[in-house]
Amino acid sequence: MESKFTEVYQRTSEDGHETDCDKVSHLLDLIIDDEATAAELSFFNSHIEACVSCFENHQKQKLLKGLISGHLKRAIVPESLALAIKAKIQETV
Amino acid sequence: MSKEEKDARFEAELLPVLDPLYNFAYRLTLDEDDANDLVQETYLKAYRFFDYFEQGTNAKAWLFRILKNSFINEFRKKSKQPAKVDYSEVEGYYNSEDVEGEGGVATTTDMRTESVQDLIGDEVASALNALPVDFRTVIILCDLEGFTYEEMAKILDIPIGTVRSRLHRARNSLKEKLEKYAKSMGYNS
Repeated sequence: MESKFTEVYQRTSEDGHETDCDKVSHLLDLIIDDEATAAELSFFNSHIEACVSCFENHQKQKLLKGLISGHLKRAIVPESLALAIKAKIQETV
Repeated sequence: MSKEEKDARFEAELLPVLDPLYNFAYRLTLDEDDANDLVQETYLKAYRFFDYFEQGTNAKAWLFRILKNSFINEFRKKSKQPAKVDYSEVEGYYNSEDVEGEGGVATTTDMRTESVQDLIGDEVASALNALPVDFRTVIILCDLEGFTYEEMAKILDIPIGTVRSRLHRARNSLKEKLEKYAKSMGYNS
């Protein structure tokens, strides 16, 4: 019988404890920034295999980071800048 | 060390950071002339303190820290830009560790110059530029320049926990701004 795995994970606890989904949402930045510990990573990986909604949230967060790292145009350094810096340094004793 | 030796070492170790440093300055000031001034000022300060700079130190993080401090302390006062809310002022805690750490900060790739890429880039840039300067800063350091949380904490003089929370809020804010646009390219939130 097919059970809805996500319901198990998404159930909000009434007593104020963090659900696994809450924990994963707090880990998302660490995961996409490659800052998570091995234990956090393993918890995260086993959770998203069973929870579609957290899986999707992770995809979105990765996409957001990718928009910055992959699509933001870099400013072009004026050619005169390096020369100006070298000149100023030479004047400085 | 003679002045010639010092100058040669300075140029060899610190000038390679010029491109990311200018980009950081430009994203902070949003003005080419201001970015130019800020970068020159940063290098002059770095030169004055170069005797304290030890070989193997993370030059990129060190210069970014000097630039960020120059921007806050002096530059923003005389800048044409109105000052935006600086969250570091309300967050309080001061982390006085010196900048150090391993090199090897990931370099960012140049983006392709196709027109579609340009359009996305423009949209991302305007969303980013609309963020408060402290939010913009953590996004640039993390996503554009590839600094680790630890390096960011040292550059910004804030604890790692503050780096994390600021980055989280910055991304949420950026997400909101990009939401409308993102939906059109299949990014449903």
